[in-house]
Amino acid sequence: MKRYALLALALVFLAIYLFPLYWMYLTAFKPSSETFTYPPSFWPHDPEWNFAKVFVDKKMATYLSNSLLIAVGTTAIVALFGTGCAYALSRVRSVWMDVILFLILMMQVLPSSLMATPIFVIFNQIGLIATPRTAVVLVQAAKVLPLYIVLTRTSFMQIPKELEEAARVDGATRFGAFMRIAVPLARNGILVTSVLIFLQSFGEYVYSRSLISEEALQTATVGLMNFMGPNTTDWNGIMTYAVIYVTPILFVFVLLQRKIVSGLTAGALK
Amino acid sequence: MSALFRGLRDGHGFDALLALLALVYLLTFSAFPLVYNIVMSFQEVDMFSMADLVRPFVGLANYKTLFASPDFWPILRNTALFVLLSIVFQLAIGFGLALFMQQDFPGATYLRGLFLAAWIMPALVVGAVWKWIFAGDFGVLNYFLQQLGLVGSKVFWLSDPAISLYSVTIANIWLGIPFNMILLSVGLAGIPKDMYEAAALDGANALQRFWHMTLPMMRSTLGAVISLGIIFTLQQFDLFASLTQGGPANASNVAQYWSWQLSFQTYDIASGSAVSCLMLGFVIVVAVIYVRSTRHEHRA
Repeated sequence: MKRYALLALALVFLAIYLFPLYWMYLTAFKPSSETFTYPPSFWPHDPEWNFAKVFVDKKMATYLSNSLLIAVGTTAIVALFGTGCAYALSRVRSVWMDVILFLILMMQVLPSSLMATPIFVIFNQIGLIATPRTAVVLVQAAKVLPLYIVLTRTSFMQIPKELEEAARVDGATRFGAFMRIAVPLARNGILVTSVLIFLQSFGEYVYSRSLISEEALQTATVGLMNFMGPNTTDWNGIMTYAVIYVTPILFVFVLLQRKIVSGLTAGALK
Repeated sequence: MSALFRGLRDGHGFDALLALLALVYLLTFSAFPLVYNIVMSFQEVDMFSMADLVRPFVGLANYKTLFASPDFWPILRNTALFVLLSIVFQLAIGFGLALFMQQDFPGATYLRGLFLAAWIMPALVVGAVWKWIFAGDFGVLNYFLQQLGLVGSKVFWLSDPAISLYSVTIANIWLGIPFNMILLSVGLAGIPKDMYEAAALDGANALQRFWHMTLPMMRSTLGAVISLGIIFTLQQFDLFASLTQGGPANASNVAQYWSWQLSFQTYDIASGSAVSCLMLGFVIVVAVIYVRSTRHEHRA
């Protein structure tokens, strides 16, 4: 009995905590007349399906495809550079590797908003600003690469060295053993971390706002900010935009929840 | 040459190569801008001289202008307040929830994970949702508070200069709770159960057990969570952009947002990079303390 009372209490806490999400979905479904009633209603009396209209009016196809491009590009670069580094850091214990790990951890903590200034000036000088989405991919990858390395490293550490040594005795090169033994065995960790990196980059704002000036190349976060404007009142439309944007993210999260939580906790405290 | 190649293929050269590839990438796109930023903060940089390779050095002039600016100290105070309040409440609420979720009931692990739904959302979208919740006339927060009789008239959360910083802080606390809770849960799970049983047999009550056992056992986890909290709180930019944009009249501005505004909105790049340097220095000091303490625990 006590266990179910605790469960009920936990559900109450969760409901209070996730109320802003409910409010977002609710507002998206309300017709605009009902959005501005006071006292507010907590269930849509006359739900409206505005999604297609907002999607077209706010050019969400363009914004979302730019965000997608940046997320895919970032994840690709991070997986390419990060997987090998995480593997090496899990295999070798030496002063040099400790120094490299320390440097990587240091570069994880640099806030994007503070790095945007020098990066803007440098990219302006070398002309990278002419291809702004590539520029965002390059710096966003540098921002999230350390996190990827730290989290993936713990997956590699769980693979016994003996498996690779056996493959080496059978004539595999280091690279062969890495690609055919270590990477497939760490597959789960690599995939979950990549999804995490992908989701983070899909919601990137600072660099996109700072480096991309052309509207057609902007991301969904910047599009939402443009929509909000200084004196906006179209909360119904904004919440509809938000719902279209975050529902896929939340869907992926609910599917992978357990793995994301365990991957995150394994890496963060080690 | 062939020895080098063999080393890369078969020996430790392979590990070194893999580690160095990522390191070189990070040095190019993180460390180099960091150093460049320090150099820039001693130079005269504006929209026109931005593209020049050689710019005049002005010594400490940028920093002097900064310290003399009437905005500097209030914004620094805001930053400290924002970080302090965020950490205290995220930690307290996160710890409370972690202790609660530690109880034995069906679905505890799954429900605990669901809290992270907030954390996974783009912070800018979270800001948009909170902006609507905070809205003065039709906001649902004012409605709740009035129903509960806590406030008489409507509170203008985002446009009242006395309150706006606290409003952003509330949204940031909301965003930070799940991460704190999950990390603290891991720490709690590491405390051996039989210790509690022994203490309960000796007649220690729940409060005594918490104070004399849980807290001391959690010391290193708490240290890690607080350092990570400071680091993440200083990264917070999207909420400021979406909620108040530092306003009204810098009342809710913090250093990391101000630095960006100086560079990208007033094009005073020299001042922007000077603020950025000061804050990056602070973040790096916190990170060094954090990394050193966790490494230490690891070896011990």
